[in-house]
Amino acid sequence: MVYLLVLFVYPIFSTLLLSLKDADGSFTLHWYADALTGVNRSVLFTTLRISAETAALSLVFGFVLAQAISRLKPLWAGLAMLVVVVPHFVSALVRTYGWIIMLGDKGLVNETLAWAPGAPYQLLYNELGVVIGTTSMMLPYTVLLLYGVMRGVDRRLLAAASSMGAGKVTIFRRIYLPLVAPGLASAGLLSFILSLGYYITPALMGGPNQTMIATLINQQVTKENQWNGAAAQGVILLVLTLAGLLLVKAVTSLGASRKKRSAT
Amino acid sequence: MAEFGIAAPSVKVAGGKPATATGKALSVVALRKTYGDVVAVDEASMEIAAGEFVTFLGASGSGKTTTLMMIAGFCEPDSGTITVGDRDVTRLAPQKRGLGFVFQQYLLFPHMTVSENVAFPLTLRGVGKDEIRRRVGETLEIAGLSGFGGRKPGELSGGQQQRVALCRALVYRPPVILMDEPLGALDKKLRDQLQVEIKSIQQELGLTVIYVTHDQEEALVMSDRIAVMRNGLIEQFDTPRELFERPKTPFVADFLGAANFLPGRIEQHDGEHTLVRLEASGGLLKARRHQLPSGAQVKLLSSQAGCGPAPPTTGSVPARWRPPRTWAPWSARGCGSMVVRRRCCVWRYRPAEAPWRASGSGSPSMRTTSTSSRPNRASEPWPPSPPPPPPVRASSWPPAKPGSGSCTRCQLWSICWCCSSTRSSPRCC
Repeated sequence: MVYLLVLFVYPIFSTLLLSLKDADGSFTLHWYADALTGVNRSVLFTTLRISAETAALSLVFGFVLAQAISRLKPLWAGLAMLVVVVPHFVSALVRTYGWIIMLGDKGLVNETLAWAPGAPYQLLYNELGVVIGTTSMMLPYTVLLLYGVMRGVDRRLLAAASSMGAGKVTIFRRIYLPLVAPGLASAGLLSFILSLGYYITPALMGGPNQTMIATLINQQVTKENQWNGAAAQGVILLVLTLAGLLLVKAVTSLGASRKKRSAT
Repeated sequence: MAEFGIAAPSVKVAGGKPATATGKALSVVALRKTYGDVVAVDEASMEIAAGEFVTFLGASGSGKTTTLMMIAGFCEPDSGTITVGDRDVTRLAPQKRGLGFVFQQYLLFPHMTVSENVAFPLTLRGVGKDEIRRRVGETLEIAGLSGFGGRKPGELSGGQQQRVALCRALVYRPPVILMDEPLGALDKKLRDQLQVEIKSIQQELGLTVIYVTHDQEEALVMSDRIAVMRNGLIEQFDTPRELFERPKTPFVADFLGAANFLPGRIEQHDGEHTLVRLEASGGLLKARRHQLPSGAQVKLLSSQAGCGPAPPTTGSVPARWRPPRTWAPWSARGCGSMVVRRRCCVWRYRPAEAPWRASGSGSPSMRTTSTSSRPNRASEPWPPSPPPPPPVRASSWPPAKPGSGSCTRCQLWSICWCCSSTRSSPRCC
């Protein structure tokens, strides 16, 4: 309990207090006003936009990947999951530099596409680069989550639908998608939340226009020594994350209650 | 409740086909399926008439489900053809065959309500909204589920879920409905009830149904014809009565629980009969003439449980066998067994004051227990009454003092197998 207080509750409250304190120690909200106006506001929106893009993309790729894996035999599925998850244990910094090498002007991708018109493509230090990077970081989470949900879907339901005359597209749209929908929702929200506070990849793979809120906080603290502003932004990030988490919880409990009803 | 069970299917199919009949004929020719070296289904062929209720009966691994899956299109046959109506569907995908399928595990869509589940096949066919509502309501009513349309499958009991599954297969009037042990997951009472319901719906709507089960009683109760399967082969495809009375192989007789094998040895051939000396009692039985030489070991097979030979006796007790009035035995194809059959009532004898159950040495037969739980059976001639009691051992002899109704000399009295009536039999020995 003491540990909890010291390690979690106290830091959060001190951050909260810091964000509400003016330079002379009096109560103020102007750090929040600062954080929500001008450049800072656009940074906030960039963060939300990149997170949303990341969530959408990692959901799409994760869905395709998990779908493919869930169709494999158990042994192969286990190996495939290993392949998906193991990179996650490698330091994010290493992986990010790996991407930078791959995507650079002289990188693997541009070398392979050298014949194409307009090559080399600008794949780094813009939003595309950031989204590629964060999506690859989020993929293990979405795949893991979706794989679990997909394994829970009774394949015979699909056979039943096809025996009634449903084609592949109809089965997917009317039966499969509704059944994995709770998993899709929670996987999407999870990757959204995680990429909100992501620091390394956007900082290394993005340009000045892709500054995300975590980068901004870092700048405020290390370059401008502006702790109060950083605290206010930190609190905003925290609130956003909490809102997302609540949403995840609502969605999964919805899915759980549905599952429970179908099980009894 | 519509009469069912043994109504001769040929008559019904030819004459009394209901006006609403939607079922189509189905024919299977030389269907074969192998898994590696294992032959799951070996050259299965059958013609199923429109409006017929056909059951594939067999133990697990007999190929009955594989055959059904091939008809449904879930697995592809190695060779052979499947025709529905006049359409060859052998290589079609399941959804293109338009057949109905009821699964053992219900397989209702958990995210849809009961109504949506039943409406699903109709929406696939582009039926209009009002029409869908009408037909879903109609079908749910047939199955007695009128008030349940708004519920989710998870809120229903197993029996109700299976009824919904049945509705879902009925609602679009498929030419053939396939059922894979649909009642396997339900308890006995519910099973009995649903058997009757399914059968009456089938008759009402003139559906062609192919039903898979390993439960002999279920097959006998519901089917117009039964295909008894073993090791991928159809042993016999016939009406329940024929299966019971004229089993083509000992396996069929045994599997239907009607078997009553009496080991014996051929004594002599006598005109159109063969006399067989029973091993157990030393009694002499007359069976239809058989080619086997004298002295050959044979098994006499009573093909109808109610009219088998008398209870065997051992040791010094003489065979208490009343020669039946008529013999219509039938010889099994080269398998060394003969069938002893007769039409009339056969009396079995038991000690006056020793209930045969108490002194029996055989295992209680399946059919004895299952038929006794069916109260409406008593008055019906079909299915036949329970098989003869387990043999009475010599050790349980002699019975107690002469009873009032028993034979004055041997203290036995007799009970008819068919009608369970008793009579004293002063002349039995």
